[in-house]
Amino acid sequence: MSRDILAKMNYIFIALLLIGSSLVVMYHENPERLIQGEWVEKEWRLEKDNGSAELASNSQLQEGLRREILRDFEELHLGVWKFEENRQLQSADSTQNSKIEWLIKGRGHVLELRKDGKQIESFQIQQISDDKLVLHLNFDLQVKGIIEIVLERKDPSDQYAKKI
Amino acid sequence: MLRKYSNHRTLSDNVKLGALTAFSAGMVNVASVTVFFAFTSNITGYYAVFAQELSKGNWYQGAVVLLWILLFFLGSFLSNFVIVQGRGRWSQYISHAIPVILEFISILFVGLYLDFFYSNSLQETEFLVAALLFAMGLQNGLTASISNSVVKTTHLTGLTTDLAILVSMFSKRQNRQNKALVDKFHLLLTIMISYVIGGIFGGIGYLYLANGTFYLTCGILMVIALYDFYKLKRVKHLFDRRHKEACPA
Repeated sequence: MSRDILAKMNYIFIALLLIGSSLVVMYHENPERLIQGEWVEKEWRLEKDNGSAELASNSQLQEGLRREILRDFEELHLGVWKFEENRQLQSADSTQNSKIEWLIKGRGHVLELRKDGKQIESFQIQQISDDKLVLHLNFDLQVKGIIEIVLERKDPSDQYAKKI
Repeated sequence: MLRKYSNHRTLSDNVKLGALTAFSAGMVNVASVTVFFAFTSNITGYYAVFAQELSKGNWYQGAVVLLWILLFFLGSFLSNFVIVQGRGRWSQYISHAIPVILEFISILFVGLYLDFFYSNSLQETEFLVAALLFAMGLQNGLTASISNSVVKTTHLTGLTTDLAILVSMFSKRQNRQNKALVDKFHLLLTIMISYVIGGIFGGIGYLYLANGTFYLTCGILMVIALYDFYKLKRVKHLFDRRHKEACPA
């Protein structure tokens, strides 16, 4: 095959990649649409912990420790995370009226929470699918490590049961 | 700074070009991380992230990263394309200034879009980061092309390697007396420091200027683009004046 043809094929290949990736970005299901809906907190874990062996072996965070670590993040004790289409984050069992705005940034791997236009927290979206959402909260307080929050999509039948 | 090519460039030309472009790249990169949570000059990392996302079956994220890499590629391609195709058609300065102007337009577009249209959607974020990567590709393609790959200003992996090699070479006395090596060391060090200072300016600037940081970068790019224009005009003006003095009509 002549080099002229190879060069042309090269340009066509790059153009196809560019068009293909643009189409996927525009039309494929993205984390911003996937995250919308109600999610129930299932687990809080301390990942990549460099603390005591006991804690490392049992990475399940105790409730008390969780509260201690997250005392600065009161707004995040949501229980049920309701990501609304208008980018408002509501808690089904929350009594507070504070409006938290949610945004997805980066390549769809960062969940940013804002209050009054100011960032209050950001999470790495470790996994997102139709029924499971895993968030990593990075912080450098007294505990070195990553808090992993596992959420599961609220069962739609449960919502239907509530309605009737 | 822009009009000379390859071996005709002096150390001073490369230092000025390297310092200003690295400064603007540092600013853009930090501003982008602040606004979009995405780097705009981290191509090596993006190749790794692309492979990682594909291995995890995250097709959307993989496509986003592929788009970003391709836009950087396209920027570098276009930069060199203009230089190569412009040879003989228009002046060398014009050929070298066009990529800077295109970079200026890309960054200005991002700043204006953020100010007047941005609704914080993910899709907008992906395409604005793509525009910035295109701009960085243009810049890196230009600086590398016209300086014989001596000046590369948007990512510092190669630069840090070259600096480390030079520092190790300076462990020998005769290398410390070698002007070419010392000059290269000064150039690389200038680029590295400029990039870091640009990054600091980008971070602090964003606190006070917000999206104005992108306009500030545009200002620096204008200085790069118009510096030689000013010098050429000045030289012409001086030449005309002397010519008039030498042979009055």
